[in-house]
Amino acid sequence: MNLITLIKIGWRNIWRNKKRSLVVILSIVLGLYGGLIISSLMITLNSQRMDTAINTYLADIQIHDKEFSKEYSLSDTISNIQYLEEKLKQDNRVKAYSKRVVINGMLSNSTGSYGVNVLGINPETEMKVTNVYTKIIKGDYFESERSNTMVVGKKLAEKLNLKLRSKVVIAFQNVNGDITSLLFRIEGIFKSGNGMFDDYNVFVKNSSIFSNIPDLKSYHEIPILTVDGGVTTNSLNESLKLDLQKINNTLDVKSWDEIAVELAYANQMLGSFLYIFMLIVLSGLSFGIINTMLMAILERKKEIGMLMSIGMTKIYIFLMICFETVFLSLVAIPFSLLITYITIDYYSVSGIDLSVVGSGLENFGVGTILYLKLPIEYYFNLSLLVILISSISSIFPAIRALKINPVEATKSI
Amino acid sequence: MIETENLKKTYKQGSLKVKAVDNVNLEISDGEFTAIVGPSGSGKTTLLNCIGGLDDPTSGNVIIDDEVISSYSSGQMIKFRLNNIGFVFQSYNLIPVLTAKENIEMVMLMQGYNKQDMDQRSSDLLSEVGMSNMSKRRPAELSGGQQQRVAVARALASKPKFILADEPTANLDSKSTAKLLDIMSKLNKQENITFVFSTHDQRVIDRARRVVTLEDGKIIKDIKK
Repeated sequence: MNLITLIKIGWRNIWRNKKRSLVVILSIVLGLYGGLIISSLMITLNSQRMDTAINTYLADIQIHDKEFSKEYSLSDTISNIQYLEEKLKQDNRVKAYSKRVVINGMLSNSTGSYGVNVLGINPETEMKVTNVYTKIIKGDYFESERSNTMVVGKKLAEKLNLKLRSKVVIAFQNVNGDITSLLFRIEGIFKSGNGMFDDYNVFVKNSSIFSNIPDLKSYHEIPILTVDGGVTTNSLNESLKLDLQKINNTLDVKSWDEIAVELAYANQMLGSFLYIFMLIVLSGLSFGIINTMLMAILERKKEIGMLMSIGMTKIYIFLMICFETVFLSLVAIPFSLLITYITIDYYSVSGIDLSVVGSGLENFGVGTILYLKLPIEYYFNLSLLVILISSISSIFPAIRALKINPVEATKSI
Repeated sequence: MIETENLKKTYKQGSLKVKAVDNVNLEISDGEFTAIVGPSGSGKTTLLNCIGGLDDPTSGNVIIDDEVISSYSSGQMIKFRLNNIGFVFQSYNLIPVLTAKENIEMVMLMQGYNKQDMDQRSSDLLSEVGMSNMSKRRPAELSGGQQQRVAVARALASKPKFILADEPTANLDSKSTAKLLDIMSKLNKQENITFVFSTHDQRVIDRARRVVTLEDGKIIKDIKK
């Protein structure tokens, strides 16, 4: 007997009780669809969280002085920065870069004080690297002729009741260890989509820092956007990182995932988590499959007994039942993938508006509109998982079929 | 030749032991057309099950062409049944999702026939049982008599040494029964195929050339016509 005959019998057998088979198929379709959509939501959430972090602050690679990475001291600036800049300008892997002064200080106004991270930037170059300028919800992004202006996050503005043009004082320890205070006016308020970032980071012009701290000679941070950057750590980023490191051994060159370790870790964990999640969902589904197949075997006890009587070997009986079970999932999978693809394709453009839980999402570092996406390997891998689960589900009914006594099943020979 | 040697089969029913077949010694030569008859519970079906290797005897032997098949392992028995015995069941037991032709070919597929030979043989068998024009119909599209004719063709498909038929006419009307018996009788005479029936049906008994009567598991009468 060849497998094609077994496959043919298995295929036809699943349509003997159309209603029952369709119920199982539908449950597999919905189970896989639900799993894929949940996977897509999780991946999108995580991906948007990383995108937000990279686009608003991290960039693909950052350079610091090694000492600055340890102490965050104002005096630990990047040395020989002109040479480094020349190298960056010549390197065709570099799309854009910026230079930042980073100061940990205390922002105060009449309402209160709050610890902040002050990022001294050149607005023109920073706009090529990060997108905070597109997130301005009130005021402007350093369009004023004034030097001492500041752009703050919405959360911080709400916390300290900051209005446009209101004055704030930044107090911090200068290069010599003395406390220095600088006065700024609020020029703009941004909302990046990451509540924690908006709560803690403020932007000022480099020029305002250097003019007030003459002892500060250089920058603390160079964020770099690469031509092939993004949330996936790639070989280009890695090679650039290694080459930059070779320029000067006092440099600390790190990719975004080394700086925001928690984001990278969450990204790595997500894949495993999703497969475990799907395994649990589909395991539940497998009980439905087992039940259906047991019923089918019970109905066809006589027929299976006959097959055994006329000489069908146990392995063929076993395979026949397995094929039937797997066919149920093979019918379901294309439908499931199709509706998943259509759903994700639609929401990848129009987005899912989750503004009802917007504040929670912002705290998580994600905007309120989710643009669904799902890597193609998830379609493939989760389909394989369904086939695997249904194959495993077929074992028990198949074993039950083998236990049929042909004499009893056929009542007589 | 089919032989049974002191064949016994005992079933347990609660604390009772029921002797379904009790020390049966029987010889059925090649080409016989034999009916095993007797009242319900006399052990007809059990005897056929033991001869067909579907049931293990409690003691004694079943010998087919000098081979003691009752000592075969399960795997050997499956293979033996496939290549040597044709079965005809009371309720036909055709596979509902396959056509008449495919039901016949199923046995040949198990035996490893090539497609061409299988096609030829299944067509010939359908022709022999007068079902050529219904080869593509599924069992649900056939009458009981037609299904049983397909079942006979299926039983013949493996070129068996003998055919065991348990109450093959029990579900058939007289016209279908007559036709089926004509076919089986013709195959028996023309191709020397051995048929062994268990039956209550007087029409079958009338056509049989040997009638073995069982009662309480024992042969009480053995008449060759």
